[in-house]
Amino acid sequence: MIHFDNVTKVYANQNRPALDHVSVDVDKGEFVFLVGPSGSGKSTFLRLILKEEKPNSGAIHVAGKDLARLSNFKVPHLRRRIGCVFQDFRLLPNKNVYENVAFALEVIGKPRRFIRKVVPEVIELVGLEGKAHRMPDELSGGEQQRVAMARAFVNRPMILLADEPTGNIDPATSIGIMKVLDRINRTGTTVVMATHDAAIVDSMRKRVVELEDGKIVRDQSRGVYGQAY
Amino acid sequence: MRANFILSEVWIGLRRNLTMTIAVIVTVAVAMALLGVGLMINAQVGLMKTFWSDKVEVSVYLCKKDSPFPTCKATPKGVSAAERGQLQQQLGALPQVAQVLFEDQAMAFENFKKTQSANSILAQVVEAKDLPESLRVKLKDPEQYQAVIDAAKGMKGVSTVIDQRAQLENFFGMLEKLRYAALAVALILVLAAILLIGNTVRLSAFNRRRETGIMRLVGASNLYIQLPFVMEGMIAGLIGGVVAAIMLIVAKVFLFEGTTSAFAVNSQLGWDSVAEVITLTMVIGVVICVLASFVTLRRYLRV
Ligand SMILES: Nc1ncnc2c1ncn2[C@@H]1O[C@H](COP(=O)(O)OP(=O)(O)OP(=O)(O)O)[C@@H](O)[C@H]1O
Ligand SMILES: [Mg+2]
Repeated sequence: MIHFDNVTKVYANQNRPALDHVSVDVDKGEFVFLVGPSGSGKSTFLRLILKEEKPNSGAIHVAGKDLARLSNFKVPHLRRRIGCVFQDFRLLPNKNVYENVAFALEVIGKPRRFIRKVVPEVIELVGLEGKAHRMPDELSGGEQQRVAMARAFVNRPMILLADEPTGNIDPATSIGIMKVLDRINRTGTTVVMATHDAAIVDSMRKRVVELEDGKIVRDQSRGVYGQAY
Repeated sequence: MRANFILSEVWIGLRRNLTMTIAVIVTVAVAMALLGVGLMINAQVGLMKTFWSDKVEVSVYLCKKDSPFPTCKATPKGVSAAERGQLQQQLGALPQVAQVLFEDQAMAFENFKKTQSANSILAQVVEAKDLPESLRVKLKDPEQYQAVIDAAKGMKGVSTVIDQRAQLENFFGMLEKLRYAALAVALILVLAAILLIGNTVRLSAFNRRRETGIMRLVGASNLYIQLPFVMEGMIAGLIGGVVAAIMLIVAKVFLFEGTTSAFAVNSQLGWDSVAEVITLTMVIGVVICVLASFVTLRRYLRV
């Protein structure tokens, strides 16, 4: 599903690579934690999958497509098949829950009838039934992140990328967020989640890929956050 | 495409940037109105030129008895009928000349009374014998008056040669200057409009960076992301065009009909050419707005 082959990324005006000869494979339906200290290249890894950035060398394939050969014109179609959530939620403050989720479908031209059907379903899936008409500032952080997850998942993407989704949320609420991510993963969606949250990684027992200074230092199935090695 | 979704985005964008939008509309309106006035002057001059071209003639005035003109020294007694016939023949033989007609004092007096009827004192004082006789020379090609004038000036018994065309040309020259002035100001305003639109679109893109960021993230196509901004420019251009059209209609009624009736009754600019000018300026206004929005977006909304 996601295939990195010897990928190196050096940002302009930086002498140290953000990713340094990274090769990794993520299969369809997998759940992968991306861990590592700050600045180790986790967000860069996720941005490369979205083709928000281009690698300096190496090849990236997503869903069988070589990103280097994907024209800019087709990038939006790639992104429609990848959902994203972030630490800062990125909701539209002047739209309510329903509208925030529907927005993702409206801007890719989905018919209104389809939107009316699937948006309530996904709001229920993330556990926000009954709160569809709340505005973002009337929701807790955890609830806002659920809205973001609903928006990321409403178009049924093949891949869900989560960049520190629990970074702004207390540990108790984070468990709820992880439950939703797990539910999404069980529908067959591949999930890649960058995180600093050791407790979550340890409790989930999923595959863990650890980065340090842009290099993969550990790739372990059913791993934990800080492995002594 | 979800038309009403895009339209509601456009509406939000226009409202958020109301003052900038108004500035764009006003600039576009004035620029397009001036451009239209320039084009209308152009059409008007063309019309008047064709209207006048078969009516203008070269008037060759003949020497009277004791004419003060230095060229009349050779004929102190005035031009005799025989000499006049000779002149008429000479002029008629010129290759540029179509016809030569004689206007005697009585006819000259009739014409004088007609044109000077408003000036009653002058009309009372002047008598037929005060007016000079003249030969009215009609030209085959009205543009070729200079050769005729030169030839006529050298002929014996000719006091002065007046070319009506030279007087008209003055008037046309003035109109032409007016047109260039209108077009020059229009051009400057178009530049101002382009900069204003660029700025408006940039502000608009900045105001909506959250929305556009999410749109990019969920895979909205560039067209979908950019269309609301381009439509904002287009709508501003369209409203500007409508205001310009109103200004042009007012100009046609008050400016063109007012001035031209004094010069040529039959050379009124028709409503069809006004409609043409309005359509053209509107298209130009909208195209400028759309292009300016688009170019700005290329710079501020990268994939
Ligand atoms: N847009 C950018 N331009 C230049 N350098 C960048 C840019 N984004 C990231 N970097 C650099 O690349 C390296 C990796 O950054 P990245 O954001 O991928 O780290 P991260 O693992 O996500 O860190 P964190 O855990 O703090 O989010 C860092 O050294 C960072 O300074
Ligand atoms: Mg990061």
